[in-house]
Amino acid sequence: MIIKALRGFAPALAFGIGGLLLWELALLIIQPEGFVLPAPSAILIAFFDDFQVILTASKNTGFIVVTGLVGGVALGVVWALLVSRFRIANETLTPLAISLNAIPIIALAPIFNAWYGLLSPVSNQAIVVILVFFPVFINTTKGLTEVDATEIELMRSYAASSWQITKTVRIPNAMPFFFTALKIASSLAVIGAIVAEYFGGRQDALGPLIVQNAGLTRYTEAWAAVLAGSIMGILLYLVSGAFERVSMPWRTATETAGA
Amino acid sequence: MRLEKKRRITRWLIVLALFALVAASCSSDDGGSEDLTPVKLQLQWFTQAQFAGYFAAVDQGFYEDVGLDVEILEGGVDIVPATVLDSGAADFAISWVPRGLVPREEGLNITNIAQVFQRSATLQVSFADSGIGGVGDLAGRTVGNWGFGNEFELLAGLRSAGLDPASDVELVQQQFDMLALISGDIDAAQAMIYNEYAQVLETVNPDTGELYQPSDLSIIDWNDVGTAMLQDAIWADADKLESDDAYRETAVKFVEASIRGWAFCRDEFDKCAEIVLAAGPTLGESHQRWQLNEINNLIWPSPQGAGTMDTALWDQTVTIATSEGILNAAPTDGAYVSDIVAEALANLTADGVDVTGSDWSPKTIELNAGGE
Repeated sequence: MIIKALRGFAPALAFGIGGLLLWELALLIIQPEGFVLPAPSAILIAFFDDFQVILTASKNTGFIVVTGLVGGVALGVVWALLVSRFRIANETLTPLAISLNAIPIIALAPIFNAWYGLLSPVSNQAIVVILVFFPVFINTTKGLTEVDATEIELMRSYAASSWQITKTVRIPNAMPFFFTALKIASSLAVIGAIVAEYFGGRQDALGPLIVQNAGLTRYTEAWAAVLAGSIMGILLYLVSGAFERVSMPWRTATETAGA
Repeated sequence: MRLEKKRRITRWLIVLALFALVAASCSSDDGGSEDLTPVKLQLQWFTQAQFAGYFAAVDQGFYEDVGLDVEILEGGVDIVPATVLDSGAADFAISWVPRGLVPREEGLNITNIAQVFQRSATLQVSFADSGIGGVGDLAGRTVGNWGFGNEFELLAGLRSAGLDPASDVELVQQQFDMLALISGDIDAAQAMIYNEYAQVLETVNPDTGELYQPSDLSIIDWNDVGTAMLQDAIWADADKLESDDAYRETAVKFVEASIRGWAFCRDEFDKCAEIVLAAGPTLGESHQRWQLNEINNLIWPSPQGAGTMDTALWDQTVTIATSEGILNAAPTDGAYVSDIVAEALANLTADGVDVTGSDWSPKTIELNAGGE
């Protein structure tokens, strides 16, 4: 089973390592003047040199990412359930969600800092919640509403209540949509948290680490912090994937059967 | 078949359109007359009286008199003067010394050709009733700073008082304004005496209905603490200085005309303030006048001549930089050069320009609400 899993990863791994080697070699050959793009080896060295600082920063940023992600997902799912069940909710909440999504997040960050205080985590969590909410809401709504009509008719013929229909038909139907959205949302959450940190607050976080090192032309250190952010995003993606497998065992079964 | 051809034509049209767009945006603009050497100066921050001398030199034709056509490039939050200079997008740049030395260590070969500001202008400002009288009182408080290389004096100052910046104070990323201090989010804010400090004095105190007074505030001046670092200086491309004689000549002329501009701003205060206002700064008249007064106070008097390096302060700057870990090692030779400014000052003195400003004394400037 392990060999099978590894075989699945092999092409991606080869591609990734190949790309990094190419990058390293290209820099060795071209040797651009100054600092333009550091070599992967330099970035890795900086990553381990500054490891303590990066770890602390990742923990602080990670806290915002995870709490904001959970909040945004919860909000999106609740909103979607309401909208799929009540027509009135659909007519009022959907346009509201679309307008919220249209607000440029960069404009909101300093405003939230003023509302909630520079040092309060709420100001950054709010940014993440707003960013995460919309994809989750839209995708989950789609999953909850675009159900096979015959299945609904069958349930109605059993005199099932609205809630029973939702529980047995709509929600299982929506799960693939939800998990797609969750994977998108997890990378958005990391981006949102880091960008929100640009606008003030604690300095021992990934956002300030990236932008301040870049401002001092310490690009190796900046890239090392970016690497930490990417690792965080990838971890969240993998966790979402794990949740997906666990909650949809019927899907995994058909997939492996076909593969 | 027809659809295929139509698609192909559309695709080529799009490529051509994009090409034209890129070509148009890449075309260099031909600004300036034939005989003048075009020069670009990258400022460290937005247009304001901090750079009055250069604006005055443009306005009064000092650059033109020495054969230069100078274009001033405004700075900003994400603009790093050292990289703009090194990439060739500017011929000279204004930058604080640490913010020039770090990129230099990273491989950008730039050099300080004129140390315009003789003293540091950074303050840590708090309200008088907060109980923060000296650096030691910052223990356990929320201390704002801007980062980006502006925080080194603060960090060194904290250590000099026996405090560990990582654990004894709560360092906060401050926006480039004083709102966090005024709202009470932070106990002590970073401020330049010529800019953000004045912004507080231009704000109405809700308790009194009048503007905040200096007596309402308590300041820590890093010059007094002994951890001040050198700030605004003119930087040039070191490689070019060595290889290109014409560039070196331009550098001398540029420094000469710039110092003449600063002398003008010292002697013709009101006219200089008008010139700055005409250049379109964000904050208003009384703020710019305050700023010009404080900037003059940083430059004059310059007993050795404006732009000359104060070696004691340079050494202090380097010592702090290396002990704080900002620089891995002391800068190699050539981090600053004295010959260009010496030549410029000789030319100016021969022309009868007062380059020491020994008679200078600061004015009293009244601030209006909002800096208007």
